[in-house]
Amino acid sequence: MGDGFGGLGATVTDWVGVVSGWVPLMLALVLLLGWYLSFSAGRLDRLHHRVESTRAALDAQLARRAAASLEVAPVLDPATALLLTDAATRALTAGEDQAPSLAVLEEVESDLTRALRAAFGEADDVRALRADPLATASLELLGQACLRVQLARRFHNDAVAQAQRVRRKRVVRWARLAGHADFPQMVELDDSPPSGLATLPG
Amino acid sequence: MRIGIVCPYSFDVPGGVQYHVRDLAEHLIEAGHRVSVLAPADDDTPVPGYLEAAGRAVPVKYNGSVARLRFGPVSAGRVRRWLGEGDFDVLHIHEPVSPSLSLLALWAATGPIVGTFHTSILRSRAMIAVQAMLRPSMEKISARIAVSEDARRTLVEHFGGDAVVIPNGVYVDRFAQAVPRAGWQGTPERPTVAFVGRIDEPRKGLPVLAAAIPQVLAAIPGTRFLVLGRGDGDGALAGLSPQQRAAVELLGVLDDDDKAALLRSADVYVAPQTGGESFGIVLVEAMSAGAPVLASDLGAFRRVLDDGHLGALFGVGDHVGLATCLIDLLRDPVRRREYARRAATGVRRYDWARVAGQVLAVYETVRLGAVRVGQDPAAGGLLARWLT
Repeated sequence: MGDGFGGLGATVTDWVGVVSGWVPLMLALVLLLGWYLSFSAGRLDRLHHRVESTRAALDAQLARRAAASLEVAPVLDPATALLLTDAATRALTAGEDQAPSLAVLEEVESDLTRALRAAFGEADDVRALRADPLATASLELLGQACLRVQLARRFHNDAVAQAQRVRRKRVVRWARLAGHADFPQMVELDDSPPSGLATLPG
Repeated sequence: MRIGIVCPYSFDVPGGVQYHVRDLAEHLIEAGHRVSVLAPADDDTPVPGYLEAAGRAVPVKYNGSVARLRFGPVSAGRVRRWLGEGDFDVLHIHEPVSPSLSLLALWAATGPIVGTFHTSILRSRAMIAVQAMLRPSMEKISARIAVSEDARRTLVEHFGGDAVVIPNGVYVDRFAQAVPRAGWQGTPERPTVAFVGRIDEPRKGLPVLAAAIPQVLAAIPGTRFLVLGRGDGDGALAGLSPQQRAAVELLGVLDDDDKAALLRSADVYVAPQTGGESFGIVLVEAMSAGAPVLASDLGAFRRVLDDGHLGALFGVGDHVGLATCLIDLLRDPVRRREYARRAATGVRRYDWARVAGQVLAVYETVRLGAVRVGQDPAAGGLLARWLT
């Protein structure tokens, strides 16, 4: 009986020892996990925000480019003007009342880029146009708009690439940190400016 | 626009990044923007009005050369105060991953942040080790600029994503209109060859030029080599005989006007660098000044010279090739004039008027759809400090 009692006493002591050793460790692990989850969630949130704001910036620059294309049309010959006005109008009205799908956007904007290249591909033609003081200002605006579209798309796709990488991380997938947010997609469109208006080297 | 610029290196010493930051800041101020530059500098050194001194820089060996950097908790506090007082629309951080003010600023700020990457040698062992730790900070940069295609490639290899290439700027006209100095101008018998760069840093290539000197002197005995740059030349020039050594004139450090005059006067500018160059600003300066360029065939140089259309190229580190090309060039004034003529138009794309316009376009793009520059609340905690 003494043995049994002593055995029980030993078990209790062991048990207390185990608890006092493990509980703080478990607690620390849970805290660390919690901190890591909140850190990852914050990081992902910031990236999602960046994807959205860069996309908004890209949309704004695309609209500016289309508007600048319409602005410059009156100083061109009628055939080029018609081609450019058509492409710019389609870019501006794509999707009508709702935002166009990514595929539609990529198509109409690439078409506008190609129309711009057809109109201003020859540096000599552009130089001749610039002789007209009315044309100089609108050509300058258009060149600026083309450059800004390129910049905005680079920055957007850069944000998307980094958001995608974090979205693929195991902790983000297992803890469902992304919630219902769509998997971010890059915007792939032809935005090389016409050589006559190019302002960004190589 | 209110623009905050962070330069990681001390303004007390010359360097490509510092010059770039200074010229950019001055150009933006001239265009009517409010600019504040945060850089390491002694509290008692006289600095331009737009510069916010972040304290004395400590010389540290980093990435193979000695850099004067600034870091530590006091700097972190100053960075935060500067961000708070500046109330910037855009924060432009140069070399965001250098262990200095830049990293501290990146860590402490949120909002529209532009990062310019100057170097193409991110591939250090230290960088690979801390890459994962730097990632969350790097993700805060809304727009990345690389100064050359080479710098862009290294950046994308390391951190993924993308960057736009905007080259370093040069005041082309300052060089084009510099007055040549008679003492540095060559004659057919005594042509002058200019070298610009740190003398005691082997990757700047003075040893390669020195090895080529005997062959050049054997062909054109009167050739003079004008060497501009800091450092002790004894090491690089040790292999030359006293007569050959007499052909080399060490000019020491020159100010901007003298440098422009030198490049304007020399018959050929030689760039024998052996690596670590991501852009080659001196090539652009020499081209602006009308000096025919002979450069080693580094990727960055080849691009600046349009694959040899705007200047001559020789194999990297190949002193025989350098000597042969140099002798040919010195004997052929028609070809020299042709290079200078082509370079004069090619160089326009690096003019500050053009480059600053592109940088401003980047600022305007990142401001769209974003708030102002603020302080990152996550940067306060000690744990965050270690893990971000």
